[in-house]
Amino acid sequence: MNILTGKISKVSVNGNLTLLDIDVAGENFKAILIENPDKVEFLREGKEVSVMFKETEVVIGKKVEHAISLRNRLLCTIKSITKGPLLSKLRLEHMAGEIGSIITSNAVESLQLVEGEEIWAMIKTNEVTISE
Amino acid sequence: MIRVSVNKMLKAQDSEFNLQIDCTIQSGEIIGLYGDSGAGKTSFLRIMAGLMTPDSGKVLVGGNRWFDRKGRVNLKTSKRSIGYVFQENALFPNMSVRRNLLFAVDETHQMESLDRIVELTQLERLLERMPNSLSGGQQQRVALARAMVREPQVLLLDEPLSALDHNMRSSMQDIILKSQRELGFTCILVTHDMSEIFKMCHRVFSLREGNIVKRGTPYEVFSENRSGGKFSFTGEVIDIVKEDVIYIVTVLIGSQITKVVADESEASNFAKGDRVLVSSKAFNPIIQKIPGT
Repeated sequence: MNILTGKISKVSVNGNLTLLDIDVAGENFKAILIENPDKVEFLREGKEVSVMFKETEVVIGKKVEHAISLRNRLLCTIKSITKGPLLSKLRLEHMAGEIGSIITSNAVESLQLVEGEEIWAMIKTNEVTISE
Repeated sequence: MIRVSVNKMLKAQDSEFNLQIDCTIQSGEIIGLYGDSGAGKTSFLRIMAGLMTPDSGKVLVGGNRWFDRKGRVNLKTSKRSIGYVFQENALFPNMSVRRNLLFAVDETHQMESLDRIVELTQLERLLERMPNSLSGGQQQRVALARAMVREPQVLLLDEPLSALDHNMRSSMQDIILKSQRELGFTCILVTHDMSEIFKMCHRVFSLREGNIVKRGTPYEVFSENRSGGKFSFTGEVIDIVKEDVIYIVTVLIGSQITKVVADESEASNFAKGDRVLVSSKAFNPIIQKIPGT
């Protein structure tokens, strides 16, 4: 599990859905929850929260030129690549902290990822869990 | 409704602490008491049963005063409408199951409910057996039936299932839940088993050194303010295997075997037998109708 800390900067509510904007080391992160701030005390602007997402949900992009729906994008440096027969684990460095990403070894090869290079780590809004 | 507000100085081996219980329990609720040993869980049950006398306070059950220090009321155990089941059953070894149950009957109208309770606890075919010829689970079913014969308002369960294996425990839980629905008693259950709490209890009181430090639904008490984990279950780790760069953790949830992918940093925290909370955001699970249903 990747765990970053951030501060809630905006709370948008529609019925039982809440979309949070979270400032994570200067980057705008978004998370959607089935939750209502009336019932969950810590879903407030200015609250410090943990932002969590699984390694397997971190998408890696390189020189992305087309528009993309993924809202959470962090420009990272690849610290290390551990390659397995099918899956590989990347350790990524960002100002917000270290992030792990698990992608197929096939993807590592076709993107020609190497240690030290800059890439985009991206996480879908609905894959982000928030905790106090 | 039950209203408890009592104080009792408790002396443990090398410490002393004040048991301070202040709570309201709705009629028909199943309440879980959770906490380390020595936190005061069994003392709470003993106070309800009249086996321990508080230093001060009141115990009111359905408008009746069971205990009132100031009013000098302290109903004897036999006058309180309770059933009590312990971890170790206390059946009469020289009496058949039937006679063990009949022994608890003290009013004729209870004879009528006896058949119903025998059926609920699935003891029909064991009535003539002696306790020592029964398995642990069967003995606990007899103990439960005996505790329910008097149609108590309050059923006190002190880890009655902890010595049973998983399948037996699960079927006992079902029996207690069904009995509660049919008979309508209020139940206070001492347990260490997280999955038991999630399955059985409407609310949990988490006790520490004699105080209720947390109370709420099992989810509120144990999910630690994690938001968005709408799809969540408790289970037991039964296997951890490294595959490639990931770990596959096998978790037994109820009687279902599930597999969860974990990173090394997580997997290294787990050992076989650990109780874990498995959760996912409500967005991820795929739901499909089962054909033919």
